[in-house]
Amino acid sequence: MWIYEKKLEFPVKIKRKNPALAKLIITQYGGPDGELGAALRYLSQRFSMITPQAKAVLNDIGISCSKCSASEVFFLPGVSRQISKSV
Amino acid sequence: MERDEVLSRLTALDFMAVDLALFLDTHPDNKDAIEIYNEILREANMVREIYEEKFGPLCSYRSYSNPKYFEWIDNPWPWQECFNYKLKGEVC
Repeated sequence: MWIYEKKLEFPVKIKRKNPALAKLIITQYGGPDGELGAALRYLSQRFSMITPQAKAVLNDIGISCSKCSASEVFFLPGVSRQISKSV
Repeated sequence: MERDEVLSRLTALDFMAVDLALFLDTHPDNKDAIEIYNEILREANMVREIYEEKFGPLCSYRSYSNPKYFEWIDNPWPWQECFNYKLKGEVC
């Protein structure tokens, strides 16, 4: 069902650190507007779709949202501390 | 071939494939797009093989392992800075 590959989906380059923006991203991580919530909604809604196109779209977008929210987790305070410690 | 080169090529190809797949979900009869998609997949599979042979497994249960040691567990992991390649020019 799920495959995890040890690589990023796209390159990430932070030109300038912005703690205010990071704070905002963190508050949006969970909750109704977050990517994680969206992913679960796509993945749940696919079961009630009728046409194969609709099922495929909800499935694939749900997977993409899961990937994005998995990357967003790096913004969370505990994780980013670990990242700055490791090289 | 250098790791950075192979990894960035593989990342690009996979990204193209995912994007095309999303398009094809709603345009399943578009033969041109399907042809490009299959071509991209062929190249991606080749590059993936090259990467995994030289630089280690990409997946924990689909990639062949070194018979002496389960390399999957090794550093670096994608969230570590040393894992990723430098972007060309670096102005982002």
